[in-house]
Amino acid sequence: MKRKFAVAAALAATLVGTAACGGNSDDSSTSANGAVDGKGKTIKVWLMVDAQSGWKDVVDDASKRFTTATGANVTVEYQQWANVLTKLDASLAGTDVPDVVELGNTQFPKYVDAGAFGELDKKSFENSDTWLPGLSGACEADGKTYCVPYYAGARVLIYRKDLFEKAGVTTAPKTYDEFLADADKVAAGNKDSKFGAIYMPGRYWYAAMSWVKANGGDIAKKDGDKWAGALSSPESQAGLQKWVDLVKKYSKADVTKDESDQYLVFSQGNAGAFYGNGWEQGSAEEVRKDPNDPASALVPTKVKGKLAAAPMPGIPSLLGGSNVGVPLKSKNADLAAQWIKYFTDSTSMKGLVKASALPNATALLDAAASDNPKLAVGAEAAKNSWAVPASGKWADVEKANILQNMLSDILTGKKSLADATTAADEQIAKTLNG
Amino acid sequence: MYAVDSPTTPAHRAPVGPGANEPAPRRRKRRGKGDDVVLPWVLSGPALLLLAILLAYPVGRMLVLSFQKFELKELWTGATPKWVGFDNYTAVLSDSAFWSVVQRTVLFTAASVVLTVLLGLGVALLMRRVGRVVRMAMIIAMMFVWALPALVQAQVFKMMTDSDVGVLNYLIDKLPGVEFQNHSWFYTPTQGWIVITSCVVWAGIPFLAITLNAGLTQVPKELMEAATVDGANGWQSFRNITLPILKPLLVIVTTLSVIWNFGLFTQNWVMRDGKPEPEFQTLATYSYVQAFGQNKYGLGSAIAVLTVILLLGAMAVYIRQMFKIGEVD
Repeated sequence: MKRKFAVAAALAATLVGTAACGGNSDDSSTSANGAVDGKGKTIKVWLMVDAQSGWKDVVDDASKRFTTATGANVTVEYQQWANVLTKLDASLAGTDVPDVVELGNTQFPKYVDAGAFGELDKKSFENSDTWLPGLSGACEADGKTYCVPYYAGARVLIYRKDLFEKAGVTTAPKTYDEFLADADKVAAGNKDSKFGAIYMPGRYWYAAMSWVKANGGDIAKKDGDKWAGALSSPESQAGLQKWVDLVKKYSKADVTKDESDQYLVFSQGNAGAFYGNGWEQGSAEEVRKDPNDPASALVPTKVKGKLAAAPMPGIPSLLGGSNVGVPLKSKNADLAAQWIKYFTDSTSMKGLVKASALPNATALLDAAASDNPKLAVGAEAAKNSWAVPASGKWADVEKANILQNMLSDILTGKKSLADATTAADEQIAKTLNG
Repeated sequence: MYAVDSPTTPAHRAPVGPGANEPAPRRRKRRGKGDDVVLPWVLSGPALLLLAILLAYPVGRMLVLSFQKFELKELWTGATPKWVGFDNYTAVLSDSAFWSVVQRTVLFTAASVVLTVLLGLGVALLMRRVGRVVRMAMIIAMMFVWALPALVQAQVFKMMTDSDVGVLNYLIDKLPGVEFQNHSWFYTPTQGWIVITSCVVWAGIPFLAITLNAGLTQVPKELMEAATVDGANGWQSFRNITLPILKPLLVIVTTLSVIWNFGLFTQNWVMRDGKPEPEFQTLATYSYVQAFGQNKYGLGSAIAVLTVILLLGAMAVYIRQMFKIGEVD
């Protein structure tokens, strides 16, 4: 009885497996060009919430153009960053997979490595010859392309123009020392115990690692075919120490928090500046009246009209961003590629620029800066950016919160900076080589 | 229990006495038909089948998984996972992080259960002392707490203790001479665990209080009156009459609380934003992070199996008590 059941299950699994492969049986990559008749079909698209709150019209417009061209319908499901990977793992194990999936550029390599995404014909997507390397690097393996860059974000200094002016600072700082001097002036003018010249939450590893990079340090280095953690190197430690000093001296932020709600906290008006993505300036100045309803009216916050952005002087930015790909198991790979074509073409990128997200290609960066002055700073920062270690296992380092835990350990005094970085190096090496 | 047993048991037997032979032939007759063998199985069949599907299969699968190397590749491609014997168990048991998680989980369970039971019993006793209207109000208020999903409770506590916008810091800061703005409750594990434990205890009291209140209504008034007449003070009658009657119920609610709190996941997970620091990991979150965060499903299963084994101790007490109650009925 039991054996019979097991045989049946194995048989079913095999059938399902072959059926899933059937959609992609040809060895070549999926092209986004050519006519596809999608009448009566519906593709399922997973995008992250940022699209819903920031540029839903771009998504709707691309879907509309896609439907006109192919006749197929689109269902967009918006996902949360906190659980998208777990959800994706589970659905990729089954047969009902999404046809298009957005993932962060630091998350993609793991899935490309594991063979979760199907190969795409790079040439059939617009601007593919000038894709931002920080994004497309995550899509490529062995000269093949598995995903398409979608948008980027670079972190910049967002500061209270009014408070800086009151402290006698009229131009944005040009060097790191100037930045610290300005912070001192702002701190001197605001003695309220709740006020911090710079809002810098303690588990903000994108920021801390940027300081490490600025000082010539690194997170991990590949030596032959083995990874080794590099956080305990003298350069890394010195960079991290600079960041820790900044947090301790100027920030009143909770050291056990990460940056996820920093623009909300900043909008309360208790800080002089923060380090965030370009679009966070808008998020800090205006909030939805009903946070659960992305269509509700925007209401100004306490800091509306008082903010300005500038590149963080002397600190290279981690190029954040997202890519979109077609899971290997998708039964509508051709249609999915077509949707991606519309969603990442120049028309859609114009919409993203309007919403203050950086476009996916260097060819569009300069035009973006002139179309939307708010992006000028981000576009500048994107040119001076760094990327996380290029390993298929990097996402596991993020998921294990190794860097965040290291930062909390240092800031709460549980471990010395030297001990904490040594411990993190061990964990990083174990994860990347594991 | 024993305090009541002595007066009631003889009284219960008395009417049976005269027809003492009667039950025996009846039982024999039934067995002859054979329906007392089949009928119970037919009646409990659907429930057993459901249990088998809902419990036996997942537990069996988990056991199998815990002896395999099952990661993303096996999950997506359906490749036959490799048998690794006790490798997963050795990896877990030799990891010092696992033992500190076990220690933390046990400590939390002990502290939270003791607090919940004591406070729950206190509220139940209070409910016997107050008037009908107040009692109803208490029950309704507690029902609201009880009805809140754990996720919402945790989210509310998280917001209240937020260092930037939390109401708790605001209120404490209002006290004269206290500087509490931007105080981080999760800066030290002790304070963080106080917040988490408060949330769990607060949410656990209603079940305890309402159940124990029901149990308290079973304490015969005559016994209490007799005790008072005999000169027993409040503590003595509580200790010698109320507690013994309440004991079986107390054992059950305590073991249930142990089982529930031992599996703590939602509260510490939500309050640490789905990224608990090592100091805020419990067995459940640790197993989840290993299985689903790191995609080491085999290793995660091994941790889950070890958790079940650890819990079996508590469950044995519970099951024994359940059987005991069955015998009394």
